[in-house]
This record gives sequence, structure tokens and C-alpha cells, in this order.
Amino acid sequence: MKRLVAALVALVCGVSLPLAAQAAVPYAQIEGTGSTWSELIVQQWIADVNANGMKVVYTGGGSTKGRKDFANNSVDFAISEIPYQGTDEQGQADTSQGRDYAYLPIVAGGTAFTYQLKIGKQQVKNLRLSGETLAKIFTNQITNWDDPAIAKDNNGRKFPSLPIIPVVRSDGSGTTAQFTTWMDKQHPSIWRPYFGRSGLTSYYPKKSGSRMVSQAGSDQVMNTIKGFSGNGMIGYVEYSYAINANYPVVKVKNAAGYFVEPTQYNTAVALTQAKINMDTTSQLYLTQNLDGVYTYNDPRSYPISSYSYMLLPTGGGDQRMSTAKRQTLADFMYYSLCTGQTKAGAYGYSSLPLNLVQAGFEQIAKLKAADPAVELTNRDVKSCNNPTFDGKNPTKNLLAQRAPKPPECDKEGAGPCGTETGTGEPATDDAAPPPADAPPAGEAPPAAVDPATGQDVPVAESGTVPVSGGTQDVYASPDTLSADRAGDRRPFGWLIVVELLALVLLPGLLATALRRRLTSRGAAR
Amino acid sequence: MRPAPRLARVLRLGVVALVVGASAATGVTAPALADRPQPVTPRAAVAGDAWSQTKSMERQFVAADGTSTAISDPSTGSPWQVSVNVDHTQNLRGRERVGITWSGAQPSAGRANDPFGPGGMSQEYPVVVLQCRGTGDDVRPETCWTSSFNQRSQVSRSENDAAWTEDLHASEAATARISSALGEVPGKDVCPDIVEGEEFYTRLVPFVSAKGQVYPACDGKTMPPEAAAEAALPANEIAAFTDGNGSGSVQFEIRTDVENESLGCNKLVACSIVVIPIVGISCATASSLVDQEMSVAEKSCRRTGQFAPGSGNATNVAGDQAVSPSLWWAESNWRNRFVIPVTFGDPPDTCDILDPRAPTGFYGSELLAQAALQWAPAYCLNKKRFKFQHNQMPDQAGFSLMASGGGAAALVSSKYEATGDPVGYAPVALTGFGVGYIVDRPGNAGELADLRLNARLLAKLITQSYTGSSFGAGHPGMEQNPWAITKDPEFVALNPGLTDEASEAAATLLSLSNSSDVVRRLTEYIASDKVAMDFVKGKPDPWGMRINPSYKKIKLPRDEWPLLDDFVPQGGTECKAKNPSTYFNDLAAPVSTMRKIAEALLDAWPNVQTRCDTDLSVTPPIYKLGRVERQHYGDRFMLGIVSLGDAQRYGLRTAALETGKGRYVTPTTDSLTAAVKLARPEGQRGPFEMDMVKLRKAGKAYPGTMLVYAAARLQNLDKKDAAKVAQFVRTATSEGQRPGSGNGQLPGGFVPIRKSGATQALYARAQAVARAIEQQKVPATTPEAGPATVTPGAPEAVPAADPAVAAPAAGPAPAPEALTMPPTKAVSSEWSGRLLPVLLMLGLVFSVVSAVSRVVVLRSRR
Repeated sequence: MKRLVAALVALVCGVSLPLAAQAAVPYAQIEGTGSTWSELIVQQWIADVNANGMKVVYTGGGSTKGRKDFANNSVDFAISEIPYQGTDEQGQADTSQGRDYAYLPIVAGGTAFTYQLKIGKQQVKNLRLSGETLAKIFTNQITNWDDPAIAKDNNGRKFPSLPIIPVVRSDGSGTTAQFTTWMDKQHPSIWRPYFGRSGLTSYYPKKSGSRMVSQAGSDQVMNTIKGFSGNGMIGYVEYSYAINANYPVVKVKNAAGYFVEPTQYNTAVALTQAKINMDTTSQLYLTQNLDGVYTYNDPRSYPISSYSYMLLPTGGGDQRMSTAKRQTLADFMYYSLCTGQTKAGAYGYSSLPLNLVQAGFEQIAKLKAADPAVELTNRDVKSCNNPTFDGKNPTKNLLAQRAPKPPECDKEGAGPCGTETGTGEPATDDAAPPPADAPPAGEAPPAAVDPATGQDVPVAESGTVPVSGGTQDVYASPDTLSADRAGDRRPFGWLIVVELLALVLLPGLLATALRRRLTSRGAAR
Repeated sequence: MRPAPRLARVLRLGVVALVVGASAATGVTAPALADRPQPVTPRAAVAGDAWSQTKSMERQFVAADGTSTAISDPSTGSPWQVSVNVDHTQNLRGRERVGITWSGAQPSAGRANDPFGPGGMSQEYPVVVLQCRGTGDDVRPETCWTSSFNQRSQVSRSENDAAWTEDLHASEAATARISSALGEVPGKDVCPDIVEGEEFYTRLVPFVSAKGQVYPACDGKTMPPEAAAEAALPANEIAAFTDGNGSGSVQFEIRTDVENESLGCNKLVACSIVVIPIVGISCATASSLVDQEMSVAEKSCRRTGQFAPGSGNATNVAGDQAVSPSLWWAESNWRNRFVIPVTFGDPPDTCDILDPRAPTGFYGSELLAQAALQWAPAYCLNKKRFKFQHNQMPDQAGFSLMASGGGAAALVSSKYEATGDPVGYAPVALTGFGVGYIVDRPGNAGELADLRLNARLLAKLITQSYTGSSFGAGHPGMEQNPWAITKDPEFVALNPGLTDEASEAAATLLSLSNSSDVVRRLTEYIASDKVAMDFVKGKPDPWGMRINPSYKKIKLPRDEWPLLDDFVPQGGTECKAKNPSTYFNDLAAPVSTMRKIAEALLDAWPNVQTRCDTDLSVTPPIYKLGRVERQHYGDRFMLGIVSLGDAQRYGLRTAALETGKGRYVTPTTDSLTAAVKLARPEGQRGPFEMDMVKLRKAGKAYPGTMLVYAAARLQNLDKKDAAKVAQFVRTATSEGQRPGSGNGQLPGGFVPIRKSGATQALYARAQAVARAIEQQKVPATTPEAGPATVTPGAPEAVPAADPAVAAPAAGPAPAPEALTMPPTKAVSSEWSGRLLPVLLMLGLVFSVVSAVSRVVVLRSRR
């Protein structure tokens, strides 16, 4: 009775009763471990879905730990950059130990190389390196910043003689796996002799006697490089960590000969070439083959781009699963694949293209297959609020289309550009990203001549005077000195004028002064 | 209509709980409870919420001749009189912490490193605390939660470990060689580990889920889905330690059906906390009067423990089963249980995952995290409001994103240089940071609840002036420095009675690696203290401790704390020699969020990265580097910077900070209010300035007090976004300031900003700024747009002038940047350029002076 009255009161007052949003299936807390590469955005998603009543606990710990914990049934999901490898580095099993699972891509990003390099007291923020140079640095073949290969990558700018200290991960890491996969595919002649065999590894091999430093977790890699003793260090982390720390990253040379930063745009462009295993019957369904990414010759492509995966428990009899947990997993992923992707750029990641989002939904559907009580109505591509979305052509990536062309000064043999890296902002000559259907950006802007060195310096398209990227930190200062010191001409010019005047006037003045003195003495007597 | 929810429930610090008993043991007098300031918890007290009960219990051995011997409290000669108190039991939320204390129990022995879940099973005479479904007699061992099967079942034990079969109080069925507490013992197909042979004993204590499903609990696979060792969410059941006086305490984390579906506690399914003081198994009639002739099980049942009261058991050696917590379900123990009924509040309404509205992100300060979690649903549940999201990132990054058009508003705690449009700051939350700590008193005497710190101690910690270990002690210029704060006479004088052992964790303060307004506030506190600054400038403290030379004369305050040391110790183990690293960086190991620090404190797991182990099982050997182990219960000592919101949410203690001589202030509603009374507004729409020097002079104001502002552009902000920001400011400063744990309310750790009273000015400023943001008419040339002394050179790339260009969802529209390398700097000597004219001028001046003086002198001679 009371309830009825209450309901009536509510109706009369026009107050809508709070609708139980998920009346059908309640949520239950889900727990996971794994990748620190994607941890920063995953933690943000977890904070976001709290408003929806979903409780998610994620504690990172590295991809290797994530895969192990998943196999041991101690977590509901795991996040990893690489699939199960069969056997790990120590010859032990790296499998799910029979637990049924599916790979679900959750976010894209670029593996960035962050570094501390100072010229005098000024920090270099626009370092450019080719893949080959990077591979040689991380295999101890290039050990000093004054190496000619580095100078060549930077269009002849030489860096000071300073030992290079590579910083690598000491724990089992998906970031290491991504990086070594790339080296194995792109620079096997450099990587394989160092590693002693072919293939990737999650534990970076460190040679005794080398300067290489190893640290556990992405946070610690960042700390080590940022520290006072970090001058000369270079390490690899997800771009997000560099952005968070406001620290520069290397512009890596792509197949088109441009040096680019792993912004959301450049990563998105690169990943249009990722070959996703679309064989739904394969154990490796949706896992990535990045060979095409590494070699894509679009000037905007960041070569070391990749996806991170969730291991989704799909078994109908999964020991840790219940309807409520599956529902939470499904809705957490629905949020992450759709609305959650809109903030990827701000955090230093890149949004998933829609074909992967679609495939992701197919994986989520396996939760319903395992348990028909899971509610998936309206959770699909149509309702998906994803920034790469284009309903008509889901294979296109709007982000990749909007990606601005890199500035000409970032091209091999030009520049280097003075722009700061590690800010998340795309570097470009374009005034604004072109609309989705616009043709590729026009020709290179006209070049101007540097007043001091006589070198070509491209001018921004607007034709304004080139300015530095906003702060007064000077980026790799060009060390080619011009023959004379134009800036000193003016003071010396004045000096000459004064000297001339003195030459003319002084003798006369002296003479008069002496004469006065003599006459005044005479007068005193 | 739903009953008005009594939502005013926020986590309470178990401050009260944890003082009891601990002080008497160590001879340290804790301040009387009445003197203790109330923590920043806006929760209204609810009468009748607490619970207490006293029970009498003893252990009995029945001899072969039928005589019975009782083991009771040696101090009284009568049975133990155990009293259990629980601080609150009603309207609980998921993961809320409940303070439980007890007295009169048998002192525990063999303390475990980690008493939670399976980790606590090797102790003797602990107090087992569990969460069970049901109330009163409905509570059975089968409805009580454990996170591993061997915390409840004994599978295929030898006779030596079959003490329960001799239980005096148990039924005959319960003492059979193979038995189950519920129904038949499953067959080999389900429970392959149960061995049938004569010499093996098994007792199953199955778990029954809320839905009625029975899990046999004979191995890890026959446990409910939530049960897992080493899970991301740690176990809540604990075998807690009783000190030498019979007292103890825990903060017990309650789980609802959201966290633990199988246990299934919610508003409709009643649950209880069950507290079982272990006094040992009472033993049935022995077969012989002579001890030696008794059966193995009979002897095992009569054991009284391997460890001395108060001792530790760091290596986790198994104790005597008869007095261990693993037989909590045996009738001898179970009959001594305290069953404390608890009730749960309404779960808050939640937003629909299918809501098509795109969220609007506000970027910045982590200080607001706990409030934003409660505020967000109040936006998405209301169709008239926008969908608010708080995206946490460093304040500076959030501000830049806002200024460049990437975010509608930033959430920051201090003023930032606006490079483009003018920016208004609307105060939306009054909170701050704290120095969180977890410190155990020596001798298993409980946790410390009143840590005091001053600016010089904090300066010593953040400048890495404690050496940590013999490795750090080799650092040049720090030979005389203590290894850790626990060895620093200054700290010992402030906090007597703590451990005098040095540990690496006690040499550091876990802090933030990135730029943050919290770091600024912390370093402002240090900078405002003369003694601390003398130390920073190089003056040794009265005991001869000197600053780490790498940090000497470091400029304070600052937004980001740098790692400046570069000392690489030589030698040590083979692993260390093969993996040299910057020792002090590994000690400090700052992290990117305060949440990580709060979690590290909760787990007592320092982020010290000095572990270096060699795995010789493979060739070449593998080196395992990284984070040290979790600290052991009883030996915990860890400090870290936390937000007051997190501290309240997780029940973390925060230190009292010195303001004046002998004056120490904890974060309380009063001390935060006292600080904000001193706040002076900047300009018309700028932030408030809380001068640290004035604040310290005031004495009772908390130095870690901080305001969080919603900062947004006052011009050129998209109209819709401007309306959203204004709506947020208005909602946050009205509805959002009502204390409570419900949707839209203000959680613990925050002080409400109100229309009247001490926070009046904040409120008024918020409304004024909200109006200005909404109107978007503040001209760019107002004085607060920043003085024109911008660094020479670059007029910063102007954000897109046309608001329409700022694409709504597409992320930051890249500003037209001029991205070319600047022309080579004019190569010249600044010195020559300036010196020459200056010298010429000087020459001129002197010649004039000399000429004039000559004239004057000549005249005077005349």
C-alpha cells in the first residue's frame, strides 16, 4: 500500500522513479592484472565506469604476469601486448593452461623512445633517429651520442660526446616484446646476433659489461631517465608515460623518410596497415601482424605502433566466471571500445579503428555464447561513440584520414624541426588537420635561408617568421658555426666610430688642456 | 518512493579503535581520545550503530579417567573473558572498513608476515575474523567466506594433523576419519585429492553460495569463482594478532555482492561479521592416562603451541594445529564465536551504459578523484545535466589541454600562466594532501596512530638524505647521516617508542614523479620553515646530519620533484655488481598517481626498487630486479604522499604536521577551515592564495590544505561547453557539498564549501566565475590575463580563434604551429655586445666627472 501511494506521489509530482539501469543482470566486481603499457588509460576507464556501477580492479604488473595470472585462474581478465607464446624464455609453458579465452584489442598506441640528452645545460627535445640507429643503440653497437649515424639522422647536427645508456625493462614486459618484435622483423642482422637467436622476448637480454640499465615497470624507466644521472639515457615506454611526464621522445624515421612522433594520428595511420588475423577459428583470432605497419610508406606513419589485448575468459564452465561478472566484462569492454576511445589521444594512445571495434564485439558476444543470460542488446557498432567511426565505411579510420602531414623539416635530409616532442600535439606544417575527404596536404612550403649559416630553413606555410615551439628550451642547437660573428658587428662598429672620433679630436683637446694647465700655473705664481 | 536513504555513511578512520590497548603495552601514552581532533569526515554520527559483547571461553582436556582439566586465563585462573567491540555496523557500503577491537583474549604467538587469507594460517591463538552470510544461528561455517580451500577444509592429513577428530564438543559424525560439514563427501571424480587410506584424515567444510550452490572445497577447483590466492583484490578474512595484554584490533573490509557475488551480502541478504578468538581444541577422553601411550591424534589435540606469546614467525613455519586458526570451524572454536550482524545501505543508482550522450571530460587534479567518483552519477542520471567525467592527469597537463581547447575545463589547485584566452578559476572543493603512514609499534604491540612530522624531517626525506643501507652510506658527504628516519634523533624525539631498526623503506617518502600542485604545496611547506631551509642550504642539523649534496640549495617551492642523485654504489652481491644502478633513485622510486601510493600503503608494500636476486637455476643466471617484498605485519614502516580523499576512503592514517613550535596539526574539518580562512583571492576571477607563512603563524591551520578549482576559458569557449562548465560549478558548490556517500554528495576527506561561514568567499567566487564562464565576455586584456612579461621570442601559437573549429569530439584540433627550426641564433658574444658600450659610457662619465671635479677643486683652491 505504502509503495503504491509512493508511486502515485511520484507520478503526480512528475518525478521519475530511478530506473534500474541494468535491471536484468547485476554487476559483480572483476579483477585483472597485466600490461603497464596500457595501464594509464585502463585505470581511467575503470574510474569512468564506476558511475555505471561497475567495479573493476586492475593492478598492472607487466604482460607476462598478466598471462600467468590468467592461466592460474587468479584473475578474471588479463591485459597483454602479445599472445600466449607457447613456451617462455626459460622454457616454461606460456599458455592459458587450458582456460578458454579470446583476444580482444582494447587500445592502440606507439612505443616511444624517451631520452635525456643535454647540450651544455639545455635539453635536446627534437632528437630524430632511424630504426637502424635505434636497434644499434639497444644492441650496444652505437654507444656514444656523437656517433656519425646519429648526426646523419639529424641532418648533420652533431651531438656531444657522451656515452649512451640504454634503459630496458627488467620484468616480463609486453613493451619489451613489442620492441624486440620490431627489431627482429626490421633489423634481424642487428638484433639476432645480439639476442643469440631469432624472435621476440619479454625479458630484455642485458650483456654484462655494457652500460645498459634495467628497471621494473614503465614508471621506473621514466624515473631513471628523468633523473639527474639520466643524461645520456634512452629507454622505451608507451607514449603516454612521456606525455604524463612532459618529457621528449625520439622522432623515429618511417619508410617514407620522415621522422615522426607517436601521436594518436601517426599511430592511427600506421595501424591501418596492421594485418589482423580474421580467421575466427584460429586461436590467434584478432592478434596482430605488424609487418605492414613497420614498413608503411605514408609520411605520417609511426612505425612502432601496436595494439594491446585483453584476455577474455570465454569458457562456459570458467571457474571464475558468473553471469554478473560476464556482464561486467561485456559492459566494461563496451564502454572501453566506444566512448572510452575518445580520450585515447589526450592520454597518449590512439583510438581503435572500427573494424577492430566490430571484431571486438564479436569477441564480447562469446560471453553471451558461454552464458545466455548475459545481456548484449544495443551494445553494437551503431550505438558506439567512437571517434574513428564512420558508419558507411567501417574499415576507414577517420583519425588516420584527419592526421596531418608531418612538416618538411622532419624529412630525411632536411631540418631538423625545432618543435618540442612529448606533448601529444601533432607536428605539422598544415594550418589545421584537413577535413576527412580532403586530398593530401600540398607541396612543401617554400624554404628560406638561414641568415647565419646559409642553410635552407623551411618557413611555416603561413609565411610568418619561424618561431620556436613555444618555450625557450632550445632544441638541438645547430653546431655549424658561420665564419664571422654577425651579432658582434654592431658593437665593434661603434668602437670604430669612437676611435675615429678620438683620432681626430684627442690631439687638439690634449693640446688645449696642456696649454691651459701651463697658463693657470703661471697665473698662480 | 524509496525510503530516504541514510546515506551519510563514509568510511571512518579506526583511530579510536587502534589506540586501545596498544599504548599501555609500550608505556607510551597516547593522547586522550577527547583531545583527538576529528578526522575530515563529514559523516553524521548515528546512534546505536556500534556493537559490543563479552563472552567467556576456555579449553578443556578430558583424561582417560574422565577428569577434566581446563586451560584458562593464567592471570585470573578463570576462563578468558573476551570482549569484542565494533565501531559501526549499519548501512555499510562495499569495501567499507569497519573497526573491530577486542580485549581479554589469549595472547597470540608466531605472528605471520601477512595475516590475510591463507597467509595467516601458521599463527597460534589468533583471533579469526570472517564475513558470513546470515545472522544469529543461521550463520554456519559453510556460509563463511575464505579465499582458499585449505583455510576451511583439511584434506588427506596425517594423524598428527588431525586434532579435530579429538574435538570434545564436536558430534561423532564430525570427528570421523573422512567427513564433510555438509552432506556426503564427494567421490574421486570431484575430489581426487581425498585419499581413502587408514592413515589419512579429511574434513571438508564446503561453501554454500547465496544462490544455494554447494562448493565442496576439497581443492582450488572446487571453490567459488571469487576465491583465488594472489588475486588482485586481496582477501578480507584475517587471523589477527592479540598482543601481550589480550587486546587487538583490525580494520575489516566489508564485501557486498558486487565484490563477492557468491557470498552475496546486500540490503536484502543479511550478513554478519564473525569473530572467533582461538583458544585451542578441547580434547575428548584420552585412551590412556599416560601421555606417551596416547594416540598420535590425542597428543596432537593436546598441544599448546610452539611459539612464545608475542613472537614472530617470519619464515612461516607451521605451528601446532590444535591452536591454529585453520580449525576455526571445529566446534571447540566455533562455539566461542561472536556473530555481529551488519546491514547494507541501498546501492547507489548507476548510470546506464547505453546512455547515448557523449561525456564531457574535465582534465586534471587527482585530489578530486574520490569526489568525482560520487559526483559523476548525479550528472548522467539527470537528463537535464551533461555527462560529467573527470579525467585525471597532472594539473599542468590538464591546464594545457584546457587552454588549447582540448578540454572544456581543467581541474587544478594553483594558478597557471594563461597564454591565450583569459582563464577563470572557480573553487569547487576544499581538501588537501597528507603524509600517509603505516607504522607498527615494536613487539607486536599494535599500530601507531599519532605520527608527527616537521618540515625538516620532510626535507630530509625528499632530499634523500637518509642513506637507506650500507650501500647508500657510501655516498660522499653523507657519512654521518642516519640510515633511516627511525634512526634520526629528531624523529625519535618526536615519536618515541618506535623501532630503532633502519630499513630502506624508512629512508624515503613515496611521492609523485610528475608535475603536481601537491608537490608544490609540500615544498611550500618546507620552504616556509627556516630550520628546514637552513638544512637544505647545507647547515647540518644539531645531530650532525647533512643534506644529500646532490640536493644542496635546491630551489623550493617547485611543481616537480627531480631525482638528482647519481651515486652508484660499488660492490655488494654478485647481482648488484652485475647490475649497477643509481641507488637513491631506486630508493625513492616515485610513481605517477597518488592512488598508487595509497595502495602501496594499504598493502604495506614499499615501492623501493632495490631488490636484486640471482636465479642460478639457469645458465647464464637470470637477475631479478625490482620492487622489494611486502613488509611483514608487526614490522611495517612506510610513508607516502596521499590525497585526503583517498586517505578517508581507504582508512589510511595521515601524520600531524608541525606549524609552530611544539604545535602539530592533523587534517581535520577545523584545521582545513582554519587554513581557508586565511585564503586571499587573486584578481576578480583568479585562484585564492593561501600563504604558507601566515598559515603557519595561525597555528591550528593544516599546512596541506588545498583548493581544487574548475578552470575554464572566459573567452572563445564553445557556448555549449561554457554552459556545461557553469552548470558543473553551480552543482558542485551546492548539491556537491552535502556530506555523504550517496550520488552527488561529498565524500570524506573534503570540507563542504558553503554559502555562509568560513567558506563564504569561496562560494561567492565560484558563482561569479560560473557567470563569467557562461557569458564568455571577459576581454582578453584584463589584468589577470597575465602580465605582459612573457618570455621573449615566441608569441605562442594562438589556439584556434574560431570556436567552431574546435571539433567537438575529435580531440584537440592542432593549432597552426610554425614548426620549423629557428634560424641559427645570431652567433655573437652577449658580453662583447653589452660590455663595449658600457665601458665607453663609463669612460665618458669618468672623464666628465674628473673634468668637473678639477674645476671644483681649482675653484676651492682659490
